[in-house]
Amino acid sequence: MRHFSLRTASFAAALLATTAMVSAAPLQVAIDTAPAGLDPHLITAFNSVLIVQGNVYEGLTAVARDLSIVPLLATSWDISEDGLTYTFHLAEGVTFHDGSAFDAEDVAASIRRVQNAEIASPLASRVTPITAVNVVDAGTIELKLDAPFAPILSSLSSIAMVPAEYETQKEALQQAPIGTGPFKFGEWQPNGFISLNANEAYWTADVPKLDGIVFNFVPEAATRQVGLTSGQYHLLPGIDPATALQLQGQPGVTVQETRDIAYTLLGMNVSRPPFDKPEVREAFNTLLNRQEIIDGALFGAGVPAGPLSPALANWALDPSGYACYTPDAAKAKAELEAAGVTLPLKVKMNVLPRQDTRDIAQVVQQQAAAAGVEIELVSQEIGDFVQSWRNSDFDLFVSANGGSPDPDEYFYRTFRGGGSTNVFKYDDARVNELLDQGRTTTDPAARKGIYDEVQQILACTGPAAHIAYGNLFTAVSDKVSGFEIYSNGRLTSLRNATLAE
Amino acid sequence: MRVQFLLSRLVDLVVVLFGVSVIVFLMIRMIPGDAVAIMLGANTEVTPDRIAELERRLGLDLPIWQQYLNWTGGVLQGNFGTSIWTGRPVLDEITAQIWPTIELTILSIIVGAGLAIPIGCFMAEARGKGAEVAVRIGAIAGLTIPSFWLGIVAIFAVAKLFPQFTTLGYVPFFQDPLGNLQRMILPVIALSLPMLANLSRLVRSAMLDALSQDYIRTAKAKGAGRRRIVYRHALRNALIPFITSVGVSAGYLLGGAIVIEQVFAIPGLGRLVLGAINERNYPLVQATILVITSVFVIVNFIVDILYAVIDPRVARS
Repeated sequence: MRHFSLRTASFAAALLATTAMVSAAPLQVAIDTAPAGLDPHLITAFNSVLIVQGNVYEGLTAVARDLSIVPLLATSWDISEDGLTYTFHLAEGVTFHDGSAFDAEDVAASIRRVQNAEIASPLASRVTPITAVNVVDAGTIELKLDAPFAPILSSLSSIAMVPAEYETQKEALQQAPIGTGPFKFGEWQPNGFISLNANEAYWTADVPKLDGIVFNFVPEAATRQVGLTSGQYHLLPGIDPATALQLQGQPGVTVQETRDIAYTLLGMNVSRPPFDKPEVREAFNTLLNRQEIIDGALFGAGVPAGPLSPALANWALDPSGYACYTPDAAKAKAELEAAGVTLPLKVKMNVLPRQDTRDIAQVVQQQAAAAGVEIELVSQEIGDFVQSWRNSDFDLFVSANGGSPDPDEYFYRTFRGGGSTNVFKYDDARVNELLDQGRTTTDPAARKGIYDEVQQILACTGPAAHIAYGNLFTAVSDKVSGFEIYSNGRLTSLRNATLAE
Repeated sequence: MRVQFLLSRLVDLVVVLFGVSVIVFLMIRMIPGDAVAIMLGANTEVTPDRIAELERRLGLDLPIWQQYLNWTGGVLQGNFGTSIWTGRPVLDEITAQIWPTIELTILSIIVGAGLAIPIGCFMAEARGKGAEVAVRIGAIAGLTIPSFWLGIVAIFAVAKLFPQFTTLGYVPFFQDPLGNLQRMILPVIALSLPMLANLSRLVRSAMLDALSQDYIRTAKAKGAGRRRIVYRHALRNALIPFITSVGVSAGYLLGGAIVIEQVFAIPGLGRLVLGAINERNYPLVQATILVITSVFVIVNFIVDILYAVIDPRVARS
């Protein structure tokens, strides 16, 4: 017996020794699902972008913490008087992870790759205004536009630079990405983890400070949570408000919080009566009590949403200024009756299968009932939801959308008549005109005036009642320093983060 | 053992696999939301042209019977198709993720079935004594506690008591044997406990039944020792229902592994098939389900043969 217990003890000691060794090196991140692939021009799903953008891949420009556009691989640029020619000066001494030098040819090839119909990049629309890409010399590149396109600098932040030889290759980068970023791809255990290693040849001195990052795919929220408190994980990005509440105040954990640029919305199908009438859409905005929704469904973590997030400080109007944002069920009821709607109005509402949207839908259902609208909730599985959304097969829906740092990127595709994600079938002559102008106006003040008017129109009579900008939470182990949460949810600051032993 | 017996079991296997292939093929296509809609997702530029192009590329524009024939034709030649999302052969994806599940299932069977025999024998022998009652209550608890709940509680408990102990994720055995076993302990306990509870109760009642038979009295009369009576005479006869149950449980373990893999963040077949269903990755769902079905059918095929080994009368009838 004595022999046995000795063996057990040495076995346990060996186990402890290995764990101590393993947990020393890289920063462990836990996220819910694995990405479908890592090609930055093909996969734009959030979890893919989270892993590679800014870590493995870099663009000419980058989005800073205040959502302004800052230089990255392009250290500076000149814009011609007419706004049609952009000349970018590239950073020096940059190499790809395969050792080859980064130069203007790679920039040209990367942009052509996104534009290539064969590659079929979902990002193609962000570079459609670029009609010509001219290599001036190895360190200078010139982009020609067919018309002034103000969001171009913002768009370029999402176009990753890849080596020129991948211009026509569709599969290679999906499994083994090669970029210029501070971390290079290490290993991918399907559904297990993706590991990134520090890029020792990174072009900025003293970056990165971490030895590596491991993105663990952990589907269960409770598992992620206990993994963080027990020290197996160091970072949980984008956790839900309920988990954040539980983790706040736990020893060894800090929960960072910021205003999210993603938002929840109530979508209305303008091609189906009665939502074809602007008065009806206005009545729906009036019947919503946004603060009550935030308190009831989001644990108070959020603010009432106008069409643009307050995180876009340079653009967003204060939503309290919109007349229809004062909740008033009686007024909404009167507006509906005035618009010729027979009450009670019976409609169906599709619900995105997420905890926050489900909770929001239930509060909305209650509030609508007070204004004589009977909402039937249709809880759908994600594939089902996307399909009906895509086919405009809905009366109403409650959903959540990621935002973008430039108003055009969101507004044009969503609310322009014929826009690629305008599933509402909304087509307003004045809004179309303004959105077209907004793209070609480069004077910031004039552009601001245009989007102010767009927000005014969309807020009350647009096809989407914006509900709330929630808060974005990221739980960080106290062993990590230098990490800062970004309101677009990206892990941009990992390049400067460090991990204590 | 007769060749005929083996052949008839093989025919069963083919019929079951054919039936499953048809059902899976139709079912994944009948649920609303198709692969193309999900692939194009919510935030991309979508034109009818692009949808049509994608459908053509994936072969989803053909009539469904033709899609089925194309697929089975490929399968018969060993080509299970490529994953819609990653473009890699689905067999590669499956082999990359099958090992954690196999390890989890085998370890759980070893623990669940292996411990069930001594525990069941103990309960039968010590029937009614205090210790036996305690074990029996434990067995009922084991049956009723869902394994995912047990898993989460175990993670919390270990995190609190032994914070140094890594319980989440997976490392291949040959890369880091200790790390592998360390991460397998909790999932195996969570997964095998219901099986252990079920089987030990089964062994107990089968043993009680066997111990009351005449031949046991004969064995006692001729002076056989306790161990010999229990393990040689009674157990052999009690094993038939036990083996059947182990075969069926193997199927439930594969199902339970889906949940356990989810809880413990283990990259196994369960996670693979769940993800494939969510993203409507038709070839991957079809191939994975076919593999799981084959395993289940083969296990039961082995069980049938084991019957014949334990009780030669089975093969003769």
